[in-house]
Amino acid sequence: MRITKLKKDNLFPFLEIISEEADLWVPVKKEDKHVFKVVDDFSEIEMNSTRTILPPRKIFLPPNFNMFSVSEKGYKEDFSHVTKKILFGVHPCDIHGLIILDNFNKQAYLDSYYLEARKNTLILGLSCWPDEYCFAKSSNTHVIEEGYDLFFTNLEDFFLVWIGSSQGDDLIRLKPELFDEELKNKDIQTYINWQAERNNAYKWNINFAALPDLMELKYKDPLWERLGDACLACGSCSNVCPTCNCYNIMDKQCLGGKDGKIMRHWDACTLKEYSEVAGGENFREKRADRLKLWYTHKLQAYISKYGKPSCVGCGRCIATCPVDINVRTVGKALIGEEVDAFWARINKEVTK
Amino acid sequence: MEKDKNGKLKIGIYELTGCAGDALLILDCEKELVSIFKAANIQSFLMAKSDNIDGELDVALVEGSVTTEKEKEELLDIRKRAKVVVGIGTCACFGGIQAVFLDKKEWEKNFKKVYGDIKMKHVKPVQSKPINAYIEVDYYLPGCPIGKEQFLSTFNRIIRGNPPELYGFPVCVECKWNENDCLLNKDIPCLGPVTRAGCGSICINHNLPCVGCWGPVEDANLTSEFKLLREKGFDYDFIKKKMATFSGTGMADFLGKLEGEKK
Ligand code: SF4
Ligand code: SF4
Ligand code: SF4
Ligand code: SF4
Repeated sequence: MRITKLKKDNLFPFLEIISEEADLWVPVKKEDKHVFKVVDDFSEIEMNSTRTILPPRKIFLPPNFNMFSVSEKGYKEDFSHVTKKILFGVHPCDIHGLIILDNFNKQAYLDSYYLEARKNTLILGLSCWPDEYCFAKSSNTHVIEEGYDLFFTNLEDFFLVWIGSSQGDDLIRLKPELFDEELKNKDIQTYINWQAERNNAYKWNINFAALPDLMELKYKDPLWERLGDACLACGSCSNVCPTCNCYNIMDKQCLGGKDGKIMRHWDACTLKEYSEVAGGENFREKRADRLKLWYTHKLQAYISKYGKPSCVGCGRCIATCPVDINVRTVGKALIGEEVDAFWARINKEVTK
Repeated sequence: MEKDKNGKLKIGIYELTGCAGDALLILDCEKELVSIFKAANIQSFLMAKSDNIDGELDVALVEGSVTTEKEKEELLDIRKRAKVVVGIGTCACFGGIQAVFLDKKEWEKNFKKVYGDIKMKHVKPVQSKPINAYIEVDYYLPGCPIGKEQFLSTFNRIIRGNPPELYGFPVCVECKWNENDCLLNKDIPCLGPVTRAGCGSICINHNLPCVGCWGPVEDANLTSEFKLLREKGFDYDFIKKKMATFSGTGMADFLGKLEGEKK
């Protein structure tokens, strides 16, 4: 793998050139949070962004899109969401999230809507600095070795740029004079110091290795009922998680004519209808059971199969769930620690 | 369902007490209006035409809640004539704003405050109730007013003999799809988690909290929402009023239980 150097002043000229090749998605501010967006003005780019509200998967599979157009002649697949894209500013944990989704979507059943979009998107990673919610170091997803075309490490007045693929290399070749192949010893030392400092900046951690067994041992623990009492069944945790991937399909018939659309939208196992089958039977009617499934997915099933959790430590569930049900509080409760969370207080509350 | 001699279903659109917003929304489907009238045999639609026939119907779409004896009779008559009855709009489905007084005594008191001791000759008012208080309702299409896309796809499904297919989840889901930062986390009282999706989270997209105008979602965890708002410092009456504004009867059981707890 080659590593090159880009002076900070050269970033916008570089982005300018590559944005002629494809739609360039970048992190920008949305009030005090961040989102990925296509912008005209690069000064909107938030180089020190924290997690975006929605993970990058929204760019591959939009929350709601047409899968098939239907007419009397039959079905026609609609791949209009697949366009050439470059995604700049993806943090290591989110790249790990995409790798997990890649595995999933290539497993038993090939999801061409995802895979086609993925094939047409280049990933330009960007290093980040942990805030109070990040815990990617616990899942070893704070660093990244694969899954990107270029990766920018943000240092003083320059970036070290890892070239992860030939397509990434092609981007650099569009204007190689912007880059500087010669790394000085000083640059390397700057990187080493930065890395050590960043490793120390993670404020808390979670013992993922212990969790699969604890999920098993505490499968009938009253903890789940307590969580279920507080859960609003709003589905937000699933919508914001970079490794959630469930969807539902709805028919949209066009009035009068014989045409229609088959729409695919994000779904979530935390929502009641998700587990409803024909005839109205529901296998996870209770919120507690739905949460158990969600946490089994994140903390147990994937670890048993792939040796790593399907949680990449992005902290989105922590920043999002209105009643504080998230990997941090649930993980702590499973380990037997006291937690300060709305769900832990809800039944103690006296209604005045 | 049987079709008329032209192979179309006979449909009636009726308005009880409400703002007529749902009927207006149907009329406002300008681009599709001709298709609507072509696809079905619209027998009765007071807002759109004058040659209305009140005969047998395949489908009746009913907007508004019942607030007078006359409307009650009208509704019973519609039920007798129609094979399928669909409640359209939050008033028909849950009572709407006019059903905010859950308690009969409270309603009577307020009625007196507004109308005094007036003797009504032509109408006999009753406490506002959704249509399912009097008749069996086959399908519900909530919304204040209903959404255009939701109406068109439902109408389409119904004229093809299929049941409506609506989102069964809360506003929060659409709110996240629109990548809004959650207002509850900023201590703004949002009813998104207990309200049925379909509006596209339009209020939150404009930085306003959801006030529940699409009515309660089936799986709403009202207790948790209530306690969460209490913890955020909102008082009992404020929360109760907020929850009851659009879907009084939809929340009545829960709010009734709360009253019990409070005493
Ligand atoms: S479970 Fe939470 S912290 Fe883990 S990847 Fe999903 S949203 Fe991020
Ligand atoms: S755990 Fe939290 S975010 Fe997830 S569905 Fe329940 S209330 Fe919503
Ligand atoms: S802002 Fe309201 S609708 Fe949106 S996620 Fe939060 S509670 Fe739900
Ligand atoms: S966000 Fe809530 S109040 Fe606003 S339109 Fe939607 S359902 Fe109604």
